[in-house]
Amino acid sequence: MSKISLTPNASGTGTLTIAAPNTSTDRTLTLPDETGTIISSTSSQVAGPAFRAYGSTLTSVPNNTWTKIIFNTKDFDTNNCFDTSNYRFTPNVAGYYQFNCRVGMGATGTGIAAIKIYKNGSQHIIGDEPLNIATYGAYPSVHGLGWANGTTDYFEVYVYQNSGSTQNCGSAQSGFNFDGFLARIS
Amino acid sequence: MSLYEKIIALYPELTDYDFYTVITLQNDSDGNGDYIAKWEHPTLARPTEEQLA
Repeated sequence: MSKISLTPNASGTGTLTIAAPNTSTDRTLTLPDETGTIISSTSSQVAGPAFRAYGSTLTSVPNNTWTKIIFNTKDFDTNNCFDTSNYRFTPNVAGYYQFNCRVGMGATGTGIAAIKIYKNGSQHIIGDEPLNIATYGAYPSVHGLGWANGTTDYFEVYVYQNSGSTQNCGSAQSGFNFDGFLARIS
Repeated sequence: MSLYEKIIALYPELTDYDFYTVITLQNDSDGNGDYIAKWEHPTLARPTEEQLA
């Protein structure tokens, strides 16, 4: 017969209480046969960062110039990791993050558009590239996983176009936004 | 005149493809304007600040 051992912590002063729910049914919680830590609803594995941001102003994108998109408004930001002053997501939990971004560009006619997610100032996840600019403009998007150390690593979105002149890039709330969430801790 | 236009005035032989591959102009939307983030053109030298002034 295997055993159950409860080990007090000599350094702590609090009392750990295991509370039963209000139930009249017998329940059994079965622990996995492996070494690890039980997580709670507030653990970072469960309550990791998630955000969605958009731009309430247009971003002016010069011809042939990779330009950071202005995401200065947030729909939500669970861990307060998205900075609307520099349009950066700096997650505070180390792990793998899923990112999605789609923007609208007013450029029409010829040329291409492209989009990338930068990590720490360098390209990291490449999106639609090159995407031909059509009669109704271009709507480049990028999706992918990135790893963050949970302290200093940050992510931003840059777009590019070569229509021949400066173009406004919209990231209005209706479908054009930058979002991400913790997919797996390190 | 934008940074791109200044560079094209110096090197009219540059193409859109060059700016998409070996040359990266960048703007961080921080009010500091456009700058050359990468210049790896095989034959043309990176323009100096004086040339771009």
